[in-house]
Amino acid sequence: MNTLARHRRLTRIWSSEPGWKGWFSTVNHNDVGRMFLVTSFFYFVVAGVLAMLIRAQLATPHSAFVGPEIYNQLFTMHGTIMMFLFAIPTFEGLAIYLLPKMLGTRDLAYPRLTAYGYWCYFFGGGMLVFSMLAGIAPDGGWFMYPPLTSKLYSPGINTDFWLIGITFVEISAICAAVEFTVSILKYRAPGMSLSKMPIFAWYALVTSLMILTGFPPLILGSVLLELERAFGFPFFQVDLGGDSLLWQHLFWLFGHPEVYIIFLPAAGVISTILPVMSSTTLLGYRWVVAAAVGLAFLSFGLWVHHMFTTGIPHMGLAFFSAASTLVAVPTGIQVFAWIGTIWKGKPQLKLPMLHILGFFLTFVIGGLTGVMVAVVPFDWQVHDTAFVTAHLHYVLFGGFVFPILAGIYYWLPLMTGRKRFFRLGEIAFALIFVGFHVTFLAMHWVGLLGQRRRISTYAPEDGWTTINLISSVGGFILAFGLALVLVEVALQVVTRHRTKRNFWNSGSLEWAMMMPPPAYTFASLPQVKDRDPLWHERLLPVQIARGEGYLGDPVGDRRESMTVEIATGAPDFHLIYPTNTRLPIFFSAVTGLFFLSMLVKLYWFAPIALVGMAAVAWRWVWVLGQKEDLGPQPVGRGLQLSNAAEVDRSPGWWGSLFLLVANATFFGSLLFGFAFLWTVAPGWPPPVFIEPSLLAVAIGVGSGVLAAIGTFAAIRSNRRGASPTFGLLLALAGALGVAATFVFTILRMPNPTEHAYGATMLVMGSYGLFHAIVVLLMVSFLFARMRAGFLSAARRAEPAIVNLWALYLAAITTLILVAINLPGLVA
Amino acid sequence: MEPAGPAANTIATLWWVMLAGATAIFVLVTVLLALGFRSKEAAGDEKRQERSWIIGLGLLFPSTVLLALLGYGLWVGERLLPRDGPDLVQVQAEGRRWEWIFGYGDLPAVRTLNVLHIPAGRPVDVAITTSDVIHSFWVPRLAGKLDAIPGHVNVLRIEASQPGTYEGRSAEYSGVGYDHHGFTVIAHDAAGWQNFLESGR
Amino acid sequence: MTSVLSILVSPLLWLALFSGIYGLQGLSCELDLDTTTFAGISAARALLGAAWLAAIALQATLLAALHAGRFSPEGAFVRWISRATGWTGLVATIWTLFPVAVTSTCG
Ligand code: HEM
Ligand SMILES: [Cu+2]
Ligand SMILES: [Cu+2]
Repeated sequence: MNTLARHRRLTRIWSSEPGWKGWFSTVNHNDVGRMFLVTSFFYFVVAGVLAMLIRAQLATPHSAFVGPEIYNQLFTMHGTIMMFLFAIPTFEGLAIYLLPKMLGTRDLAYPRLTAYGYWCYFFGGGMLVFSMLAGIAPDGGWFMYPPLTSKLYSPGINTDFWLIGITFVEISAICAAVEFTVSILKYRAPGMSLSKMPIFAWYALVTSLMILTGFPPLILGSVLLELERAFGFPFFQVDLGGDSLLWQHLFWLFGHPEVYIIFLPAAGVISTILPVMSSTTLLGYRWVVAAAVGLAFLSFGLWVHHMFTTGIPHMGLAFFSAASTLVAVPTGIQVFAWIGTIWKGKPQLKLPMLHILGFFLTFVIGGLTGVMVAVVPFDWQVHDTAFVTAHLHYVLFGGFVFPILAGIYYWLPLMTGRKRFFRLGEIAFALIFVGFHVTFLAMHWVGLLGQRRRISTYAPEDGWTTINLISSVGGFILAFGLALVLVEVALQVVTRHRTKRNFWNSGSLEWAMMMPPPAYTFASLPQVKDRDPLWHERLLPVQIARGEGYLGDPVGDRRESMTVEIATGAPDFHLIYPTNTRLPIFFSAVTGLFFLSMLVKLYWFAPIALVGMAAVAWRWVWVLGQKEDLGPQPVGRGLQLSNAAEVDRSPGWWGSLFLLVANATFFGSLLFGFAFLWTVAPGWPPPVFIEPSLLAVAIGVGSGVLAAIGTFAAIRSNRRGASPTFGLLLALAGALGVAATFVFTILRMPNPTEHAYGATMLVMGSYGLFHAIVVLLMVSFLFARMRAGFLSAARRAEPAIVNLWALYLAAITTLILVAINLPGLVA
Repeated sequence: MEPAGPAANTIATLWWVMLAGATAIFVLVTVLLALGFRSKEAAGDEKRQERSWIIGLGLLFPSTVLLALLGYGLWVGERLLPRDGPDLVQVQAEGRRWEWIFGYGDLPAVRTLNVLHIPAGRPVDVAITTSDVIHSFWVPRLAGKLDAIPGHVNVLRIEASQPGTYEGRSAEYSGVGYDHHGFTVIAHDAAGWQNFLESGR
Repeated sequence: MTSVLSILVSPLLWLALFSGIYGLQGLSCELDLDTTTFAGISAARALLGAAWLAAIALQATLLAALHAGRFSPEGAFVRWISRATGWTGLVATIWTLFPVAVTSTCG
């Protein structure tokens, strides 16, 4: 096959359906990545317009532009959209688009999941946009503190839009995080060991692990608050044994890591671009990797610094103040590694580099004011003033928007295959830089003068008039600069000004393909020998295109790829991707029905939607797999690998593992909530405890263990070529036993609306019951698969996945039953 | 930022120290960045660069500065904690949308709305709580802020050096009336304070 | 997977110890341990101080294990990163928990 024929053939196999209809069925990362980016920048514009309205309102004292009712919606939606609908999805879009190309592979681990995540984002974001257009947008501030957001003080549907819409959108973040983690660990070009991985992939890996552990507390908080609003479960009502501080802990347990979830990908962009702009390599690669890992962990020990004024004892505050200063050290390592890189190389002031300089000057100030507010007494003074608003914009705009703009200008030639024609970018940069600093330096100042955040107006006597006017003027200059960027990007997409390959002379694999990238990315997968393959093997792009790498000769219509072992990068197994399908959009629509029924209070419909989701999920996994043994598959260069269906640890196993990590964090947060209420909430201990039942504990734990043992037995007999029926029956019985135990336990619980204790117990019991049902469904699925002939001694991937979930069920069942029965025993 | 009491004073000093330090660090970073753009010889030994940039400037330099700052901050924080003293005055503040109700020690008859009376020159402990949503008690010129949280009582130490009137604000967003949610603190001299306690006005 | 775990284990341990000691501090205030004193040291401070020292010892042991013997991970790169994060865990345990020795416990 010659190069052109290969290109045609692969294009036909990997392309999405032609025309706009293709958007609904595409699962290709090239498409979905761009869809994410376009949507997220749409939200950037929306939130930017809201910011302009805010600044217009604050420009003059006694402003009558909007009243507080509208103003409260404006800043809440500005903050919410920027954080949840712009920053995180921009990272997702960029990583979806770039990761497979940088890692030297053809797609991410779960293409349909990529698309599902996008549609959840699309529909969830749509809910929030609808609320805004209808004038019933959330108005409790982006951190939504109860009791202000409880039913009593916010009776309208506004708050529900936030809780439900954002949770819906977060599904997409969790999907993306699972997908990135598995893709980075397993889906790389052969030979790319961990030490040869592009630095952006390290950052994306760390960020993904942070999303998996950072988002669940917020999801839990949102679920609890929505349960309180919908059914009167008093988690946050102090007179019924709840405590509003629980929300603050759950929110900031998410909220602080969130800031680093936003910053780290941007730091990855800088670590990628800066060396290329300086014609050198990154100084201290391994230091930067270690710093990113350290930063990620430390950022989970900072959350209380958002609660310095809530009356926590000084030693408690001191722990978090200490951690908040320590976190500046790994940040310092990265900053100086970057400056050292500039010194090491020959920096050139091209447009992406300008934005990187903008990043440095802005982010360093944001970091310094961040250290200031980490000092407890100073925070007591400036907390909840415009100083903090200014600080957070220095961090977020400096640490995210500038790097992302650098990234856009850097990768746009790759994405479009064209180069800039009009030189608007330099002017735009100047406007953005000047506008930004005018706006937010002024806000630091007025904050020190005592201007609180979130006020819709002030009086001339306050003496803030001039500063606010300056700040607003700066804001409009900034907005004008950003608009110019958008114009320029749009122009670059439409003008025909072709550019050469590897535009910036980078060493990284995303530049080893045609521009714009073909649907299949690599015509054959390269063997990677070092960290900058393109610098050391000039002919690599040609060799790839000629099919001299792996998987250069497509078989039938298969979308084929392969994985590697995590540490060494040695080839692991062969796999076949699913192709274009509408299942993702359909699945997310059904998911949306569930959220919608919660939103409009059609509670009877919610279970129906859940059953619908289960049915679609069944279909989702059913279409995968093989009905006969494939045996070793040739992948080119004389190598043969097993197919993904014929290994112990398949993609589904890896995905389940990391999904369970997120799930376990959710469960851990729930246990934390229980312990927190117990020790801190004033209304404890509750009037009655659940009557402890050792029998229930014994049956429940025994059944959980039985379910796990059953799946082990099924794996073993299947492996020996025997029928796994007996093991599956055991597992089925075990899952049923667990489910029955939880039903029995829930029936004996005190009324959940009378005390937060009962409400917490009910949530725990339901969590256990839900997992029992999931395992029940999974085991039934295995039965059906066995009968339909999908299992064999070789095709053994699926039982291993169910085994993972059964083990998890056994573990949580034990913990839940102890948590439910122990207090009654002790009391 | 015109501090008028010991707590606010200490915090203001803290701010000026930090501002000076931050400016110095910012200038340092900017200069290093600018110098990076000089045209220069081929780079030297990478190990050496790693040591000076990353271990020296990235690791040791921030660690030293931050440890010093942390120690200073904790020391200030300890000093600002409410501790028992001979001439301590106890008052209560209860926030609700959108006003503040103040009570005085064990004088149930004396209650004031949106005006807090205190003696000047004596430490005052304000016991803060709320009867609806979260608020925050803040008199910028006297001390930092402390939240009013349902079901909890938090104690903030304030002190006005001189008699006078000080503006107080509620500093936690509380809904539509938030803009104007504030109060006034009147610090009396010794005679005026006695007079207030007796007349209850 | 073991390589990834060896990179993560020390900071994970720090996170557990940090949260644990923060919880212990809340509990000891709840139980009024700060008002019982022996020889000028409150029971709360003694308890927290002991927990802190134990935490440091634990991190140091882990770091030693990463440096030598059976638990030292394979591959120069992963080994280096694991040791760096091992040091991070140790330093973080000392740095973020040293307030147990100096600040007032429940005030
Ligand atoms: C485009 C330029 C931007 C301008 C002019 C701007 C302006 C503002 C202003 C004036 C406020 C204060 C509202 C108030 O306290 O009353 C605010 C709040 C906020 N902004 Fe921005 N902003 C911009 C970009 C961003 C970006 C890029 C992000 C995040 C990625 C962001 C996140 C936030 C958040 C989280 C809040 C707090 C909202 C709340 O108090 O609930 N902003 N912004
Ligand atoms: Cu934070
Ligand atoms: Cu910050």
